[in-house]
Amino acid sequence: MSNPYEVLGVEPSASADDIKKAYRRLARKLHPDLNPGDKAAEERFKDVAVAYRLLGDAEQRKRYDAGEIDERGAERPQHRYYRDYAGAEHGPPGGDHADYAGYADFAEGDDPFAELLRRSAQTRAHRRGQDMHYRLPIGLADAINGTRTRLTLPTGETLDVTVPAGVVPGQTLRLRGKGAPGGEQGQAGDALIELEVLPDPRFSQDGEDLGLEVPISLREAVLGGPVRVPTPTGHVELTVPPGSDGSSRLRVKGHGMPRRGGGRGDEYVRLRIVLPKGGDAELKDFVSQWSAGQPHTPREEHPA
Amino acid sequence: MNVDIEDFLVQSGIRRETLTVWIEKAWITPAQGAAHVELTEVDVARAYLVRDLSDDLGVNEEGIDVALHLIDQIHGLRRLLSQLRGEIKDG
Repeated sequence: MSNPYEVLGVEPSASADDIKKAYRRLARKLHPDLNPGDKAAEERFKDVAVAYRLLGDAEQRKRYDAGEIDERGAERPQHRYYRDYAGAEHGPPGGDHADYAGYADFAEGDDPFAELLRRSAQTRAHRRGQDMHYRLPIGLADAINGTRTRLTLPTGETLDVTVPAGVVPGQTLRLRGKGAPGGEQGQAGDALIELEVLPDPRFSQDGEDLGLEVPISLREAVLGGPVRVPTPTGHVELTVPPGSDGSSRLRVKGHGMPRRGGGRGDEYVRLRIVLPKGGDAELKDFVSQWSAGQPHTPREEHPA
Repeated sequence: MNVDIEDFLVQSGIRRETLTVWIEKAWITPAQGAAHVELTEVDVARAYLVRDLSDDLGVNEEGIDVALHLIDQIHGLRRLLSQLRGEIKDG
């Protein structure tokens, strides 16, 4: 690269303002995005940019004038220009900005050129719109029972979504024709809605199964009896068998997470025996006199 | 290829508020999801272009609207020309 003052076309005595003006004048002419396909302009722009980076910075300019650095000091790796993506060969498949209105008048004749133009316009008119991706968080009960909900898009539009019963986390719903619009006669794309199933804080989750701890009284543990336990979709009545204790796990079949391909996992209920708060004199008397309890040593039955 | 928003801001050297304004002006039109915008390398390059236009070339807002519109038309025409060239070659 040659002398940066020459590249910008200014005198070595030029003011900072003159340098900026000179750079802008050249950049407006030579910027690669304003000259797609012009290699020569790109090369010149590179030199101009390097020169300006050197002379546009008072500190760097001083060091250059003093001979401390040379013009290569301001070179930088090039970023990619917009034209590299929007260019003829790299046109993105959809959602791009390229505008085709600029030649509509040429397509009106009956020559072969107009024919080609019309054909290409037709292809574009039939182009299908882009698919749009959304995420929708739903509660566990809604995932099990299904629900209707309304999604508000960033554009302000709304989308009514019917979530069928029994969806699994990560499942995607496809709403045909609810994506980006296509060409004039093309179909709109689809809206793809990935469902996020929010966990229900009442339950622990192990794969498709849910876990829950339910407190029961000593009486319920010894004699058994019905208890009401929550499930994601409401309460069910469960029978605690007589002689249950903290090691018992009761299964509520088919009340777990929805399973891919249908059906549901199970809900497991762990029992926790709770004694009356503050102790109970009668119970204490009874247990101390309870002869059958004396020789019972559960730690030997279940060595740790 | 998608770029996450933090990377986007670093790569394009613009601030988050600026990005919001540019999206409002439709200078950048990312695919939008329910909770987030989806930005790609193409959007990074376009942001660079807008930044060059305003900072380096001293183009004002109205000028940027005009320039982007014309640039988009040029790319439409260039793509068409390339398509025509293909059709002519194929006979």
